[in-house]
Amino acid sequence: MELQKARHVQYFQRCYTTVLPSVYTSMDSNRLLLGYFTLAGLDLLINQRRQYTRPSQSLIPAADRQRLRDWVLAQQHRKGGFCGSPGHVQPDIIKRGWNEAVSYPAVNDTENVSLPGTYFALLTLGLLANEDANSVATAFRGVNRIGTLRWIKRLQRPDGSFGEVVNADGSISGGRDMRYCYMAATIRWVLRGNEVGKDLDIDIDGMVRHIRKSQAYDGGFAESHMGESQAGYAYCAVAALSMLDLTAADANKPNRYLEAGIPNIAAMVRWLVSRQIVFTDSDESDSEEEAEDKMTAVPTSEMASLSVTGPVLGGFNGRPNKVADTCYAWWVAGALHVLNDALPEAASLNGASGREFLLQKTQNAYGGFGKDAGAPPDLFHSYLGLAALATMAGNKTEEGLGQFDVRLCLGKEAASRVDRARQFWAPASGNDTTYA
Amino acid sequence: MPPKNNKGGAKAKELSEANQENDAAKTQTVFERAQAAYDLTRPPYDKEREELGGLHALSTVEKTAYANWFCTAPDEYGLLSKKAQKELWKQVNETNRPLRRGQIDRPKPDQWGQDKLGRNIGDYTVQQYEQRIAKEAQLTCLKALGRSFASKRLYASKGLVDSSTGEKYTLTEDDITAEKDRRREMAALTKDLYGEKMGPYSTDPEWDDVVPVPQMEPEAALSAIAYPEDYAESMSYLRAVMAANEHSPRCLKLTEHIISMNPAHYTVWLYRFANIQHLDVPLLDEITWLNGVALDYLKNYQIWHHRQLLVKRFARSERAFVMEMFAEDAKNYHVWSYRQYLTRKLGMWENEAHGELDSIEGMIDDDVRNNSAWSHRFFLVFSNPRYADPDSHATEPDPKVPADFVDREIAYAQAKIELAPQNQSPWNYLRGVLVKGGRKFGSVQSFVEQYVQNLGNEETEEVRSSHALEQLADIYEEAGDKEKADLCWKRLGEKWDRIRLGYWEWKRRSLKAASS
Repeated sequence: MELQKARHVQYFQRCYTTVLPSVYTSMDSNRLLLGYFTLAGLDLLINQRRQYTRPSQSLIPAADRQRLRDWVLAQQHRKGGFCGSPGHVQPDIIKRGWNEAVSYPAVNDTENVSLPGTYFALLTLGLLANEDANSVATAFRGVNRIGTLRWIKRLQRPDGSFGEVVNADGSISGGRDMRYCYMAATIRWVLRGNEVGKDLDIDIDGMVRHIRKSQAYDGGFAESHMGESQAGYAYCAVAALSMLDLTAADANKPNRYLEAGIPNIAAMVRWLVSRQIVFTDSDESDSEEEAEDKMTAVPTSEMASLSVTGPVLGGFNGRPNKVADTCYAWWVAGALHVLNDALPEAASLNGASGREFLLQKTQNAYGGFGKDAGAPPDLFHSYLGLAALATMAGNKTEEGLGQFDVRLCLGKEAASRVDRARQFWAPASGNDTTYA
Repeated sequence: MPPKNNKGGAKAKELSEANQENDAAKTQTVFERAQAAYDLTRPPYDKEREELGGLHALSTVEKTAYANWFCTAPDEYGLLSKKAQKELWKQVNETNRPLRRGQIDRPKPDQWGQDKLGRNIGDYTVQQYEQRIAKEAQLTCLKALGRSFASKRLYASKGLVDSSTGEKYTLTEDDITAEKDRRREMAALTKDLYGEKMGPYSTDPEWDDVVPVPQMEPEAALSAIAYPEDYAESMSYLRAVMAANEHSPRCLKLTEHIISMNPAHYTVWLYRFANIQHLDVPLLDEITWLNGVALDYLKNYQIWHHRQLLVKRFARSERAFVMEMFAEDAKNYHVWSYRQYLTRKLGMWENEAHGELDSIEGMIDDDVRNNSAWSHRFFLVFSNPRYADPDSHATEPDPKVPADFVDREIAYAQAKIELAPQNQSPWNYLRGVLVKGGRKFGSVQSFVEQYVQNLGNEETEEVRSSHALEQLADIYEEAGDKEKADLCWKRLGEKWDRIRLGYWEWKRRSLKAASS
């Protein structure tokens, strides 16, 4: 089966132009995430040099770009960082008279800055730039770089992990979540936090120490020390380390942090490739007809399913003995591709059948991807489904999709715009909060 | 009563009685009045006979009169023949002595009982006695009202309707206040009349249904204590509710009262805890109360034991809820993450005390493929701060973990692998335990080999678990037997785990590259 590109374009355009269904209410605090997946999906679907040579043909209308930028920037906190959603922003009239002496957004500040919000806001701003030099040069105009860096630094705990919220007393709340490490490392890369001096930079060694401790006994990575391995955290761990390597710029040791942060890379690769499972009918809750069809194709015993000759559908689970899920195809493939830097060939170790599983089983007939076979599509799995396909295709590219930057989980061209835009930050200077 | 000396004495007494008639109410005792009244109901010769000590002291006429009087008693009279009866009446007439007969019994001096001080009430003056009677009447009235209150409470509790008004019986605050006032008044009267003290419990309508169990102590008790007000009573109620195994808000209050007087009462603490469990008292409420008690009694053991029980109870209730969540989804990452936090925070490491390991074993028994449960077990065994090195990485040996624990975990993983050989979770676990324990993979070679037979022989090769075959490759690689390791990977890619062919081939290439 092939990628139903036209359907997916329709799906993402529908998400772009119309109101999202009310089931998304539970994601209202992460509207920047929803917006990012919509825009990044449209960007990835059109980013195909062979068909479209000029970026102006992007599916994101040029006329909308300024408006979208303004929407993102409106969610920036006056002290730096972004709220996750417009619903978290207070109108100016409320903010008047607030204690400006506080040097970072605190919890008693009713506007709560969010780490994911900041991550998605910055990448969206970079993504929204178009190819002309001026657009790239002004992509981050209006971003409070120093304030954001200062806040990110405040979020780091002495053990190297990152929390979610800085409390009024300076303590940090929130889990020791590997995703925060990845987001903090990416934000630091976008804002070039490594160039503003030790005072404003996060504790890199501490962060690496924390990630290092999170490798589990089975080789995978957990949320934090001694937790259960989970493929999403595995990606976040390696991608965070890889982001650090990007800024380290040590020609002799290009994978310094990847190697320092993963005690046992071989065990991790082993755990990641073990995430692929033969998709059998028991994994899906599909129509009876189709189930019967599958029955004849795949014996029921799990041992036997591994020995089937000929093409099989290889889904990915996030943890041993769990069912296959679209997004884990991305987390596993993404992690292996990032690991490729430190362990050549790692990216090529997966079977090719992962692609067929996505296209045949979770790709929705009306566009988008569902969580698992037969599930209705949602933005999260739709984007990560595309991400998985683009990643697994590697240099060959998936028909209909552009190339993919696995570190940033973003189309390669958009990632390159982000990278070029970040070159325009003013040289380091402690008090500088402006954008050159 | 000892017989009096002579007739003259009796007469003198009669005189003095007459003198006292006027202010009798002031000085005459109750018994005396009753005696006087009794005397009026019998002939004087009977009284005389009694006072003089027998018939022998009476005159002949009086003797005859007494005999006649005796025979006219209803029981005796019927026994006489008609003729004898006639003869009797004739004689009565002749004797010309009164023949009075009343219907009252002879008063006994102690028939009124004793008052609270042990005084004979018969010795009360009439005036004193009348005051006492009035109080008793008052008490009776109050009791009647109390009974009506009790009935109303019963009807109200059953939701009955008052047929006279057509409305439902309801117990108002006023009713309860009035009853409490009544109880106080009754308590005062009871104390006054009978010296019986009614404490706050016996006067509290809430405790009506409890029969207190008084302290039983043989005579000549040692080191008796002058208990403060209410202590003995509250203890007798405690004994009663504890015996009835009652758990209720009033019992909780009772334990609080007793603890305030005697915080070293060790059973009251245990009983209080049972109440807390039964009533599901919020932890923070109890802790707040306990804080106050602890600050009042700085040197007390029970307070701290109680606190430990509360924390344990909290841990249990948290785990119960966690298990409820697991009933919905036994692999919920957030919940497992919280369970780790809980284990660390509340120190639920030791199975003897907290049963955490048992609980996890139960979950693995329910679903041997629940990788989250396996992961939690690993955490539980290898992060226990009692012996484990807190800085030890999950993928490196920790020499501080006792060898018998490592042995136990290896045996456990193997037992579970036997249940379902193609289950990656226990295989990963086994691998993790071997590394943690600093054991060689080779130490489980014979166990692993039972799942792989005749490797390389196309005809007879049998592999019951791809994970076993992979483990076997690592065992061979560790031992330097590259050919055999290569064969394992080759067969994995060719037949037993085709989906990972790329990986197995890469393993083969890597090994060749390393050895060349």
